[in-house]
Amino acid sequence: MSVKYESQLREPLVYGNKTYHDVTEDIVRPIEAKPSKLWYIGFYISVCLLMFGVYSVYREVTYGIGEWNLNKTIGWGWDITNFVWWVGIGHAGTLISAILLLFRQGWRTGVNRAAEAMTIFAVMCAGQFPIFHMGRVWMAFFVLPYPNSRGPLWVNFNSPLLWDVFAISTYFTVSLLFWYSGLIPDFATVRDRAKTKLRKHLYGIAAFGWTGSTKHWQRHESLSLVLAGLSTPLVLSVHTIVSFDFATSVIPGWHTTIFPPYFVAGAIFSGFAMVQSLMVVVRKVFGLKDYITLGHIEAMNKVIVLTGSIVGIAYLTELFMGWYSQNKYEGYTFWYSRANLFSPYGWSYWGMMACNVLSPQIFWFRKMRRNLFVTFFMSVLVNIGMWFERFVIIVTSIYRDYLPSSWSVYYSPSIWEIGFYLGTFGLFFTCFFLFAKYFPTIAIAEIKYVLKTTGESYKDNMATIEKKQADEFAHEYAH
Amino acid sequence: MEKKHWQSFGELNNSEAFQQSAKDEFREELPFESADSSFLETKAPRRDFLKYLGFSTAAAAVAASCEVPVKKAIPFANRPEDVVPGVSNFYATTYVQDGDAVSIVAKVRDGRPIKIEGNEMSSITKGGTSARVQASVLDLYDGARLRFPSIDGKEVTFEAMDQAVAAAMNGVSNPVLLTSTVNSPSSLAVIQQFLAKYPSGKHVTYDAVSYSGILLANEANYGKKAIPNYKFDNAKVIVSLGADFLGTWISPVEFAKQYSKGKKLSDTNLEMSKHYHFESVASLTGSNADERFLHRPSETGAVANALLAAVNGGSINISDSKLKAGIEKAAKALLANKGQSLVVAGSNDVNVQIVVNAINEAIQSNGKTIDWSVSNTVRAGIDAEFASLVDAMNAGAVGALMIYGANPVYSWFDQAKVKSGLDKVKVKISFSEKADETTQLCKYVIPSHHYLESWGDAEIKTGHYSFIQPTINPLFKTRQWQDNLLKWSGASVDYAAYVKQFWIAKVGSENAWDKLLQDGVNVVAEANAGAAYNGSPVAGAVAKIAAYKVSTGTELQLYQKVAIGAGQGAANPWLQEMPDPITRATWDNYLIVSPAMAKTLLGIDLTNNGQADSYEVNPPKKVVSIKANGKTIQLPALIIPGTHPSTVGIAVGYGRDAKVGRAAMEDEIKSVGVNAFPLAGMVDGTVSFSVGDVSLTATTEKHPVALTQTHNIYDTPQGNRTEVMKELTLAELKHNPKEVLEEREKELAAYGGVANFKEDGSIYKPIDKPGIKWGMSIDLNACNGCGACVVACSAENNVSVVGKSEVLRFHDMAWLRIDRYYSGDSDNPKVVFQPLMCQHCDNAPCENVCPVAATNHSSEGLNQMTYNRCIGTRYCANNCPYKVRRFNWADYTGADSFANNQSELNDTIHYMNEDLTRMVLNPDVTVRSRGVIEKCSFCVQRLQEGKLKAKKESRPLKTGENNEWDLKVACQQSCPTEAIVFGNVNDSKSAVSVHRGTNNNRLFYSLEQLHVLPNVSYMAKVRNIESEVHEG
Repeated sequence: MSVKYESQLREPLVYGNKTYHDVTEDIVRPIEAKPSKLWYIGFYISVCLLMFGVYSVYREVTYGIGEWNLNKTIGWGWDITNFVWWVGIGHAGTLISAILLLFRQGWRTGVNRAAEAMTIFAVMCAGQFPIFHMGRVWMAFFVLPYPNSRGPLWVNFNSPLLWDVFAISTYFTVSLLFWYSGLIPDFATVRDRAKTKLRKHLYGIAAFGWTGSTKHWQRHESLSLVLAGLSTPLVLSVHTIVSFDFATSVIPGWHTTIFPPYFVAGAIFSGFAMVQSLMVVVRKVFGLKDYITLGHIEAMNKVIVLTGSIVGIAYLTELFMGWYSQNKYEGYTFWYSRANLFSPYGWSYWGMMACNVLSPQIFWFRKMRRNLFVTFFMSVLVNIGMWFERFVIIVTSIYRDYLPSSWSVYYSPSIWEIGFYLGTFGLFFTCFFLFAKYFPTIAIAEIKYVLKTTGESYKDNMATIEKKQADEFAHEYAH
Repeated sequence: MEKKHWQSFGELNNSEAFQQSAKDEFREELPFESADSSFLETKAPRRDFLKYLGFSTAAAAVAASCEVPVKKAIPFANRPEDVVPGVSNFYATTYVQDGDAVSIVAKVRDGRPIKIEGNEMSSITKGGTSARVQASVLDLYDGARLRFPSIDGKEVTFEAMDQAVAAAMNGVSNPVLLTSTVNSPSSLAVIQQFLAKYPSGKHVTYDAVSYSGILLANEANYGKKAIPNYKFDNAKVIVSLGADFLGTWISPVEFAKQYSKGKKLSDTNLEMSKHYHFESVASLTGSNADERFLHRPSETGAVANALLAAVNGGSINISDSKLKAGIEKAAKALLANKGQSLVVAGSNDVNVQIVVNAINEAIQSNGKTIDWSVSNTVRAGIDAEFASLVDAMNAGAVGALMIYGANPVYSWFDQAKVKSGLDKVKVKISFSEKADETTQLCKYVIPSHHYLESWGDAEIKTGHYSFIQPTINPLFKTRQWQDNLLKWSGASVDYAAYVKQFWIAKVGSENAWDKLLQDGVNVVAEANAGAAYNGSPVAGAVAKIAAYKVSTGTELQLYQKVAIGAGQGAANPWLQEMPDPITRATWDNYLIVSPAMAKTLLGIDLTNNGQADSYEVNPPKKVVSIKANGKTIQLPALIIPGTHPSTVGIAVGYGRDAKVGRAAMEDEIKSVGVNAFPLAGMVDGTVSFSVGDVSLTATTEKHPVALTQTHNIYDTPQGNRTEVMKELTLAELKHNPKEVLEEREKELAAYGGVANFKEDGSIYKPIDKPGIKWGMSIDLNACNGCGACVVACSAENNVSVVGKSEVLRFHDMAWLRIDRYYSGDSDNPKVVFQPLMCQHCDNAPCENVCPVAATNHSSEGLNQMTYNRCIGTRYCANNCPYKVRRFNWADYTGADSFANNQSELNDTIHYMNEDLTRMVLNPDVTVRSRGVIEKCSFCVQRLQEGKLKAKKESRPLKTGENNEWDLKVACQQSCPTEAIVFGNVNDSKSAVSVHRGTNNNRLFYSLEQLHVLPNVSYMAKVRNIESEVHEG
């Protein structure tokens, strides 16, 4: 019947014959309703994890870094591994919101809100590690270049760790602004529907007096574009700078010029995997299948197989260079400490290879890309693999570096090291559960923007209108 | 009418509303409204905001107030004479322990001795020290020292003690004074005076590890029960049959100094001595040998016999072909260098020593490398004498026993018999400083002073005197043991006066005596003829040895560790934490097995990478049950190449009682290690530390061993890391003196070669470094790995001792370590020692990665660490290619601003943090707090002091020009072989510049190709091996 209004190539971005009102109802419903039992259980577990993390950090701050199992040779272990891992996870959010916005990728609307939230929470989690890995965290403010009475004593602008400070804080600020500016019209929607005074008041504050006037929309659109423009270089720069922590050092396995692109690809890879893990659950729990569609999932799986293959090439390049350079130190790190399965940490390298390079190849198959179970399983696997990647880079490089006399005993984390990591999961999910309960998890306004033209409702609407008067049809069609 | 001025109509009309608002303008109460009313409408004006801010800041400050622990410091009420606050005094004195005596200078700061330096005026040690000498200052502040005289454990006064002892000794028959070797002439006189009062009395000397074999053999051959004066510096060929003369044998500091003379090379002098070593278990000396050959302990005699036969031109009967070849080679070298060679043996077997004497006579050592006109007095104990004392005690024939220094309940092999004998002695008096195993069984305990609190003298070699003067008032109610004897023999003077009189009588005047004390040493040339050799016992000895049964089973060799000795170092945390030079282990003794035995006994094949890795990276080692001489002990096994495949080794000196000190304990119940003395036995009247036919059973248990180095070779499957370490043979060096230089050229070829490397290796221009530039040069040929510098560094720089549980976690804090690498034959490898500290790189990779610039470069080339700026990111440590940076993982020092956070640390750390122990801290060096990085500073406090000295005298700094020194860094000062040279490299006459200049052919920088431009240079290790060509 109305096949002419349906793309043969593209799936609709929103399923179901949704009206604007339906969209609002669907997305705001979880905010207005009492949370489900599942939410409470999840929230409770998250807060418990968070508390365990707080206690772990308390111990480390009070008793010293000796609460962890790092040693004179391995100065960084789980702490910086987790830092890089969390920062990497954040990247998908920025990529989806900024770059895809600039490229006018309509499909981003279904997932951008949650992905951006994930970015912010992930960066919050990431930030904990460089702060609390310091031996004297109470002196952490020394890293800030502020005028002082010590000479004045300035920070060391040569240090990649200082670049990190700037990179991460900039990244966090821009991501937060971007996310929040997108939230404003949606908060106004929630405010307008609010039935209690408190709710009206709080969402009112959050909405910054949004009235939905054309001027507001115009400014909102401009702001979004400007912030998108600002965020775009950050997608590339943040992980590039994180990679400099290693690339600028002298340690074999760290001192590698391939790191910047390889880290960025890895970050996007793990970020998308994390978005997948969350979205598969959220769309199920909050009944948002019509908005986060299989099309979204498939698109993200394509990104995963692309970036996974990029990191795979990077791994092979490193191995090749380890041999081709004929540098015995590099050679030992790449071919013995890593690629040799039977060396002490060989398992971590091959775990990484299996998770990051081999397993994502399954997404060459469309059926697999659209299989929710496979997607979820793979997304978890990829994030494990990416954790291993950072572990491999950090630990297998330094545990056996230049002087054989300094080669380390086996490093495995202490309970408080694990506790800190679990604690950041607690922080992440506590934030995420609160977000899912109190914030519109999908950008209502943006969904509405694409609904008319790319929603499933489009063809029915057009069919209806077609039967009406010509000028009315022309008017509709023009929009 | 008064004119009214008004500001507003409200004020003019004075309305009610105006009055209210005027009243409200400065409100008295805090405007906290209840949350329900209109909390959200509440406006917080500026002043309210300030109130909130003030309140919350105050509340937060109160809630978060840091309880900084208060540390007490009590200033002097009156300034003592000779004490200038902040300026150290140096007193010449002598380290004495059980016959060992080393002339030293004690650095006393604000009334506390804090550091031991070698006395450079000594003709014997010439400023050298050992790890144990360096560590002895910590024993002074040992909390386990006895603090008062006691009878049956109850404190008494000295008067009451004297009365009680007088009463007890009244009418006692056969009193015995049991001491370790006493080589103090005045003390021996005191003993004579005391024994004169007790005609039935006797003085018995007991040495835990005695030299009875040598003493008796020399009595037989030379008619002197003495140890001759060995001159290793005169020997071009040295053959050692298991004598660990660089580590523990007789006078290691002296021998190390002599030995290094023959090992030092320069570009123009390529002559070096040749050292053949025959041993069963890898020792420090064996590891330094040019060629080492392994044999069973039970073959020691056979090897000696074979060597004798060989030097006499006979045939040798040894089945092991490698060993046989070794003996032939050694004999050939000895014969070729008659009068310039020396044979020594570590065996305690009289027959072996007689044979060795015969060899030395055959190669004409007597009078050349063995000087009989002077004898070594460091050991005088004869095992048989002590054994007969034990018999007499058991027979009830000893009425009273006074003990100083000797601790036979711990160190005699038959401890049960000593104990039962002690039970039968009525009056038992101990003068021990500590409640050691023997003292615990004594009724009367009168603790003696630590040597730093004592007066005295020592005759280290005949005619070579060294003097002891107190450097601090006695810390506790102790009395020097000689004082007891003087008092009890009715003398009217105390020992201090006695020594003074004794010496004034010899040297003539009080001024001369003062001079002796000031110098600390004195040599009196004694016209002493050599000894005539009597060869008649040799044939008998050879025959007896030939009849020895060579064991076919597994054998055990007991040995002493450099740090722990026969147990003297067991309670000293510095010595326990000093990694053993050979095994690199701390805080334990263990069973040393060869790689070959590891395969069969432990199932670990070190040639299998997987198994080797797993053995290396996991500290828990398999525990083996050892049965020897009917006794069984269990110890973890370490695989140490250089050990005979059928021999295992165990260090004595461990398994001490809890009362000798907390450092001797692993936890509240278990001692550090296990006492291996009971495994020894008596053979032919001397104690033998080799045991044949031991049975070993691997258990399923594991025991963690705290190693500080786990990987031992610098060759990897991806290439030999020759940039780390350079070693070659003398033959290679002679063939091509530029070999090391050429290797460097090859490594740096891509970056401009050696000459242009500094400029071409970087895109940045090198920075000019005018003025002083500090640098160090280490001669790997002179360094024997003894570890004196490691302890000296800890003492000088307040380096934390962290205890076994922390070393196990690789948290040791040493600023200076001695890396030990193996090369060549995996069963009997070549060994090289490399002292490694911060290399103070000119292009330091640690400096540019610190986000807060806490580590930076001084204008004098020091890589300096600013502790209060450090936030502890550890990035610098990661980026250090030498891994010399150390992080304060926990509050090791009590210097943290957080109180009460040491509860989970081990007892060693608590012990090191006690007020008494902390008296050893050097006030010139910051005690580092938790969370900061630390590392070698090139003893910057000494550099400042030296520079000031030169400045005050308005002259340029002297660092070795004409052997004049304004300063020496701690490691350099302690080194017995002068392997470490330090100074201003911009001064072409400084020792370090000269050292580098005259050894240019051997000079290298470790990891030079990284272009970090280190300031510590090394001189390649050269082995005197003519035939072998170095591989790789």
